[in-house]
Amino acid sequence: MSLLKEVLAELLGMFLADLRLSIAVLLLVGLVALLVDRAVVDPLVGGGMLLAGCLTILATVTAAAARRR
Amino acid sequence: MESLSWTVAAPAVSAAFAASVVEVVEAFTIVLAVATLRGWRPAVAGTAAALAILALLVLTLGPLLDRVPLHALQLVIGVLLLLFGMGWLRKAVLRSAGVLALHDEDAAFAAETAALSREAGRNPASLDWIAGLGAFKAVLLEGLEVVFIVIAVGAGRGLLAYAALGALAACIAVLAIGAVLHRPLSKVPENTLKFGVGIMLASFGVFWTGEGLGIEWPGGDLALFVFAALFLVTGAGMAGLLRRPAGETAR
Repeated sequence: MSLLKEVLAELLGMFLADLRLSIAVLLLVGLVALLVDRAVVDPLVGGGMLLAGCLTILATVTAAAARRR
Repeated sequence: MESLSWTVAAPAVSAAFAASVVEVVEAFTIVLAVATLRGWRPAVAGTAAALAILALLVLTLGPLLDRVPLHALQLVIGVLLLLFGMGWLRKAVLRSAGVLALHDEDAAFAAETAALSREAGRNPASLDWIAGLGAFKAVLLEGLEVVFIVIAVGAGRGLLAYAALGALAACIAVLAIGAVLHRPLSKVPENTLKFGVGIMLASFGVFWTGEGLGIEWPGGDLALFVFAALFLVTGAGMAGLLRRPAGETAR
């Protein structure tokens, strides 16, 4: 049972190690999906938003983590 | 194996290889600690049992993934790759900047050896079992990440076999070097590898999430290299910006 718990914790940790990062990425993908699906923006613009958003999230979460330590 | 586009296959195989090196080095440290204290029998038995479970996972999940519609598969795997790859990249940037301590295989080896020795004092009769279980857990837990990476970088374009070969080559290389040296592989530049793998996985993540959403990237597969360059510049830039003076580096 303890092994199963450790496996589940490992799996969760793989994708949710930093909750802020995970939530930000999921929100970004959700927003881009919505904008592209409703044809609010051109798909390529959506792609640019996805890429720029990921780079911004990376910079923001690393800076925030460094400030906290 | 399906028809091959080397612009996707090369990053997929190298990502699987480099990520596997990182994980196998960590698992090898624990297996070596077990072998040093209790001999190779429980270490090999635990490792073999874990590898069998991991192989079963790949053999079960691989064919199942073929039944999922491509766009849905790319979207799900793309998002998982973004979460996983950016998590690795974040940690590598913070370690590179000295905000987080670097992973130390010698310290991990000493900690595992001490833990097993303590257990030996408490329960000497079942120590072979405990040692074998230690090796089993280490290989299973580290191997789960390898399995995910192999499936994630391989499944979106029918490159599962190539990615698996990359991971297998890493296992063989680490085990061969480890068997010769017979000590923890603390000289492996783990954080540099993690940095590189994080960049590749995050790039694949953006690429496949976009394709899953119906985005046609300009330049096709070559867009991956542009994404990788941008993640590299951002990651290296943040590591430089956040770098702590030598005296304040985390240990």
